Amino acid sequence: MRELPTKKPLIEIRGIHKKFGTKVVHRGIDLDIYPGEVLALMGGSGCGKSVLLRMIVGLEKPDQGTITFNEQPIESLSEENLVPIRKRIAYVFQYGALFDSFSIEENLAYPLREHTDFSEGQIHEKVMTTLDRLGLRGTEKLYPSDLSGGMQRRVGVARSIIMNPEVILYDEPTTGLDPFNTQQILKIMLQLKKQGATSVLVTHDMHAIFSVTDRVAFLKDGQILALGTKEEIQNSSIKEVNSFIHGEAY
Amino acid sequence: MDRAKQLFLMGYQNSLGFLVEFLEFLGGSFNLLYASVLSMFRKPFYFRLFIEQCYILGVKSSSIVFITALSTGMVMSLQFGFGLERFGGKLYVPKVVGLSIMRELGPVLSCLMIAARVGAGIAAELGSMNVTQQIDAIRALGTDPIKRLVIPRVLALLIMTPLLTVFADLVGIFGGMFISSAELYIHPDFYYHEAILSLKTSDFLVGIIKTSFFGLLIALTGCYYGMKTQGGTQGVGQATTRSVVTSSLLIVVSDFVMTKLFWIFERK
Repeated sequence: MRELPTKKPLIEIRGIHKKFGTKVVHRGIDLDIYPGEVLALMGGSGCGKSVLLRMIVGLEKPDQGTITFNEQPIESLSEENLVPIRKRIAYVFQYGALFDSFSIEENLAYPLREHTDFSEGQIHEKVMTTLDRLGLRGTEKLYPSDLSGGMQRRVGVARSIIMNPEVILYDEPTTGLDPFNTQQILKIMLQLKKQGATSVLVTHDMHAIFSVTDRVAFLKDGQILALGTKEEIQNSSIKEVNSFIHGEAY
Repeated sequence: MDRAKQLFLMGYQNSLGFLVEFLEFLGGSFNLLYASVLSMFRKPFYFRLFIEQCYILGVKSSSIVFITALSTGMVMSLQFGFGLERFGGKLYVPKVVGLSIMRELGPVLSCLMIAARVGAGIAAELGSMNVTQQIDAIRALGTDPIKRLVIPRVLALLIMTPLLTVFADLVGIFGGMFISSAELYIHPDFYYHEAILSLKTSDFLVGIIKTSFFGLLIALTGCYYGMKTQGGTQGVGQATTRSVVTSSLLIVVSDFVMTKLFWIFERK
């Protein structure tokens, strides 16, 4: 991962400030995300990791600062102009955010029906292939409420990757999952990494961080306190980082 | 004295809070309407969702509208029959019932029932979608929640409320006819002639115009409170209550304003 900085960043985050009411979430965040890497955003609850992730896909606007994707500014785009970006950047929600009035097949078919000219037959085939890939075949006619939490998360991942996005943003994808479902999600993340997808992962799960990521950014008090490869972060001399990794008060 | 001052301050703060909340609602729902009008003419068009909402919001409300209108027509006939009989004016019952139902009670009572059923449903559905991040998912998947969720509901209610009101008018007048015939011994032919044939087109149009506006109010209020829901299941409950209370109050208040405007316009 040492060669990463020589590449051109795919996503550039510069001077991000954000507050909700009186609560300051970000105080000047600068971060580059390189093509093909898996970057983890780590930090205590409420430090603004998820908000930063939401900003990358335009679900949240910064008060100050810029975010560019392939040199195209995101923060100033209208909802309508964000559509082409959102076809290329997928967002995996913490609890899947599946449409509960749709069957699993309809959930996965949703982006294909909205953004492609595929026939219903082609959509069905693509849905089944993706379900297979995540070990979910047989669930296509069920509804989200019929599935366990872990399966719902995997369907959420399936729906996000069905359009073959360049970037995948994961918001705590393994939090609260059993080891089997955690492993399934990490497996698919590694597969996507091998295929060259860029991933940004928000998590508290140390196993996930150190098994799939290339680099780690540690957020504290609205700023990036530490940024480096996973080895550098693991061996960091910064007290807060060390304490966080080892589950101590920091 | 201190207690009185404290109570006055509390009342003042509550009133101020209510005013701020109402202004927020006005601004927010106007923005929603503006965004909906802008998006309405841009592709893609979700015609299937619009038809679905016409069925869910309109057709499925027909039973409560039927019961409300039938009871209203029957009660009106009884009350006016009882009141007017004392002055020998029993034969005016069909005209009074027809006119009241067509211009006022049909539109207002139907829309109040629709606000209770549909406004609550919209706020609860969109509110639940919001707190479970389904609306964020619609956006993140490159689609527009206004186009998918708001426009089909607004258009469905704009079209279905006048249709339901026509239905309510007919049922209400029929209810009045039934009671007039059974209790007041007014012949149905006479009732029909007096109640329907003596009405003017403007009487019918006033009701239709009012209900289209009420339909818009119900849909926008439900969508506004649903889409700004926060705070889990408690937030969904609050959004639902606020949606029903606000749309019912708006219907009653705007009914007076519109009635006054129509009155001025028709007298010219």
